[in-house]
This record gives sequence, structure tokens and C-alpha cells, in this order.
Amino acid sequence: MTTNLETTPLNGWHKAQGANMSNFGGFDMPLWYKTGVKNEHLAVLTSAGIFDTSHMACINVTGNNSFDLINYCFTRDISTLENGRCVYGAFLDTSGHCLDDAIVYKFSDSFFMICVNAGMGTTIALHLDANKASLDVNIKDLSKKVGKMDIQGINSARILSKVLQNPEIIFAKMPYFTFKGNFDESALGESEVKLLDGTPALLSRSGYTGEFGFEIFLDPKCIVKLWKNILSAGNEYGIAPCGLGARDSLRAGACLPLSHRDIGDWKFLNHPWDFALPYNKEKTDFTKKFLGANALLTDKDNSFIYPFVGDSLRKVSSGESTQVINGTEEVIGKVLTCATDMGISWLNGDIVSISSKNLPQDFKIKGISCGFVMVSKKLLPGTILTLKEGKRNITATIVTDIRPDRTARKKIDGFI
Amino acid sequence: MKEINDLNLLDDVKYTKSHEWTKISGDIVTIGINDYAQDQLGEIVFVELPETGDTFSKGDEFGSVESVKAVSEIYIPISGKIVEINEDLEDAPELVNESCYDNGWLIKIKPEDVSELDDLMDKDEYLNMLKG
Repeated sequence: MTTNLETTPLNGWHKAQGANMSNFGGFDMPLWYKTGVKNEHLAVLTSAGIFDTSHMACINVTGNNSFDLINYCFTRDISTLENGRCVYGAFLDTSGHCLDDAIVYKFSDSFFMICVNAGMGTTIALHLDANKASLDVNIKDLSKKVGKMDIQGINSARILSKVLQNPEIIFAKMPYFTFKGNFDESALGESEVKLLDGTPALLSRSGYTGEFGFEIFLDPKCIVKLWKNILSAGNEYGIAPCGLGARDSLRAGACLPLSHRDIGDWKFLNHPWDFALPYNKEKTDFTKKFLGANALLTDKDNSFIYPFVGDSLRKVSSGESTQVINGTEEVIGKVLTCATDMGISWLNGDIVSISSKNLPQDFKIKGISCGFVMVSKKLLPGTILTLKEGKRNITATIVTDIRPDRTARKKIDGFI
Repeated sequence: MKEINDLNLLDDVKYTKSHEWTKISGDIVTIGINDYAQDQLGEIVFVELPETGDTFSKGDEFGSVESVKAVSEIYIPISGKIVEINEDLEDAPELVNESCYDNGWLIKIKPEDVSELDDLMDKDEYLNMLKG
């Protein structure tokens, strides 16, 4: 099963810990460790967890016309993006279909880094190259040349402060979706962020869980040591190494899409992530010209993607095996993602999180299934659907958001 | 996940191809999922069981076991009437992971024809099936 799969530098560590491994995007990655998905999921919500994300790929775009190329190919308008800030968006083809989602990091007007999903480095680098025409840009695919790990949860900064030089300077003024430092000092000069042993790193206040935390990029040769150091530093906080299972349930609860499952080879439109499109105020047009825009503005082949929550922790499979049925017994679509967020529960008709304040005494958080459906009709929040898989079915409600009281966007001051 | 040689397979139960176990005691057969099944499923978060008094024919689906990873149907290895279900699993489905042959049993059935159990596998036959 593991033959021909790519590995990250932490692969040996995962296996030595007895992690349950699986193919993800062509990489042999941990699904969960011995303590299990639920504990990993809850560790991130109540303290901190770390994720091996070295399967993701980076691309550098440099040169005088870097901005022009990215602003044409990327769905976000980056004309107001400041140095040291990053932004989430997608790369589309001429049909407006999504090739991959990405975060674009701006170092300067002539130096950007793009972080894409597992196995997509070469695809997106070639896509950019195919669209550069006569622009003065240099596109460098850094696939397998970058080590990356994420630390997520309210204690992330406290733990990182034990492995970084000058943490108080680094964490001063570090809002959501900003970054500091770099892992290529020969190209970008001395890094503002260094590990205690002097290793340069890029620290980004972002992540894929909806919770406060960071993504860390560095030389892949240095990541095993950093991973172990962070685990030791986080021991007093009950830090947990987390696999893809917890990553999936946390991101689903945070209403974030998984590329190639919730967004993919269909129009990147009418979904919960329309902030990733450069709409004008009235949402009637886009504020810039970009690849795929014309197709998005036509009314053809439109589908609608909505977040849903189940009535309990019971879930159904994603994919063609599950039908989405509306109140008049019509089959209107399919399930893209269905996962159980083990950190939330229903309480008097509202969803509460294990992080919510003022929970009743002895209240037990049971978990709720949640995810995204793709349907052929426009639906309003509150619409009740049946998700039917063979003889099983669950009741689902269309919502605008899932796990409440998330911490990702909160001020860093409360976490150091 | 466990290697085949690390599985906890009891000598005194019989196994199905779909990884349930059965044990006969008097005229009652107890049924659960075996160590291989619970290990493959991972953390079990919900067990759906029939009602006491329901009747099933051999091979019928009688419920499902839901883990963080997947939902797996469970099939009845012998025809008969349900006489008891494990009610502890409603609040503590993890018992199936912790103790699949003991506290994590699923149902007890009064069989129509005990000889149906003869079609099931003993430990060695089941191990050979797993090894393929």
C-alpha cells in the first residue's frame, strides 16, 4: 500500500509512533496517532496540536512583473496586499474551474511565495508559466524543497516562544494572515524569525483549523528537530501530534474547504468561500480581470455549495453513494464532505463548542456531523435536508457557519 | 493499525467473513465485532443496534458501527430473534474498541437453527482468510 508514495521528512517519526498511515495526495501521511482523532481534535480546541504539512508545496514567483502574473491568475485582488501579508484564494482555468486553492505570501513587489496543496506544486508552476506570456517573471517550483509544519490552538504562541529567538519581538503586532521571516536568507536577507539554533524560518499566522496558530516553513532538513523540540516545549500544555483525521474534522467544523473535494473541477462560484473572489460591493461584477472570470460571470453550469450540520454525531459517506434529498423528496445533489466535529454539540437549538463560555455544568460535548453539500438549487439557511446513504439517513440543516467561538482571528495579545 | 499477528483473536468464538464474532452459551448466541474490525474502524463513536424482539435472517444487516473514519454495516451470522442488546454502548460506544469480546458485545440472539453456526470459521480459518 505504501509503495511509490512520497514521504515527508517526518515519515519515520510518524511510523515509529505507530501512526495509522494512508495515501493523501500521493504522500504517505498519518491519519491519526495512538491516542486517536477525537483527542487530537480536542487538543487543538483546548490547548495545541501540531500537524506535518510538508506534503504541501511552495512556488516562488519573482521578477518585475510578479504582481501582474499573480493578480491575473489568482482569484484575490492582491493590488492592496502589503509586504508581510498573505491571502487565501484559488487558481482557476478558463472555464472558471478550480485547479487548486492557495495562500499567496508577499515579500515585496517582486517576490511572492505561493503555498499550494500536496502534489500541486508542479501543476500550478506550469499553469503560471503557461500564462506568463512576455511578463518578466521567474517561476520556481520548490516542491520537496520546503519543510512545513503547523501548530494550532490557543497555546501555540506560548509553546513557540520556547523554541524561537526573540519571541516577544516576533509576536508583537502579528495579526491574522501576516507572516514574518523567511527560510531562504540567500534570496531574502536575514530572517526576522530564527529557531534557537539559528535556523531561519517563515512564521505565518494562519492555518487550517479555524483556531489560533501558525504555519512554519523551513529547510526540510531541520523539521524533525523542530517537531521534536515543539513537542517537548508543549508537553506541559498537553500538546498533541495530529493526523489528517483531526485536520479534516477541524477544518470542516471551521467551514473551510478541502481542495479537490469541496472545490475542484467545477465552477468556483456560489459557495461559502466567495470572499476568495474579487466581487464588487453589489456582488454583480469583479473588481479586476482574471483568468476564469468570464466563465464565472455567465449563468451556465452553476451549482451551489452549502455548509450543513447534522442533528447528531452520525455521519454519511461523501461522494456518489449519498443522496441529498429535499423536503419534496427530490434528489438535489451530493455530499462533498461529511465529518464529525467532536468539539461541538447541540444545546437548546444552538451549536456550542467545547471552547464556548458559560456551558451548563456537567454538559457533555457529543460531537455533530457537518460538511458541505453540492446541490442544483439555491437553498436558504435553515433548510432541512435528508442525506441518504443506502438504508441509512441523517437529517441535515443548511447553515452559514458551523463551529462557534473559533479563535483564529482573535488578537494575539490574549494568547501570549 | 495492528499487524495480523498482533490481533487478539479468541479460541472459543467463531468468526464471519465480515469480521463479526459469535459465541454460543446455552441456547443464546452473543454477537460482536472482532478485534480486526474494531482496529480497522478506529475510534468508534456510535453503534446503531436493533430493538429487542426484532427478527433477522442469516446475512441480514442488523445495525452499523460508526467510527471517526467510516460507517460499517454489521451482518447477522445466524437467523433468529434479538433477546438483548448492549445498552451500555449508547453512552459508551468506545467499549467496542476497548473490549470487543467482553463489555463491547453488541447483541444476543435466540437462534432458529444453531447448525447455521457450523458455516462460520474458527480462529485458524479466519486468520488464513485475513492472510489471503
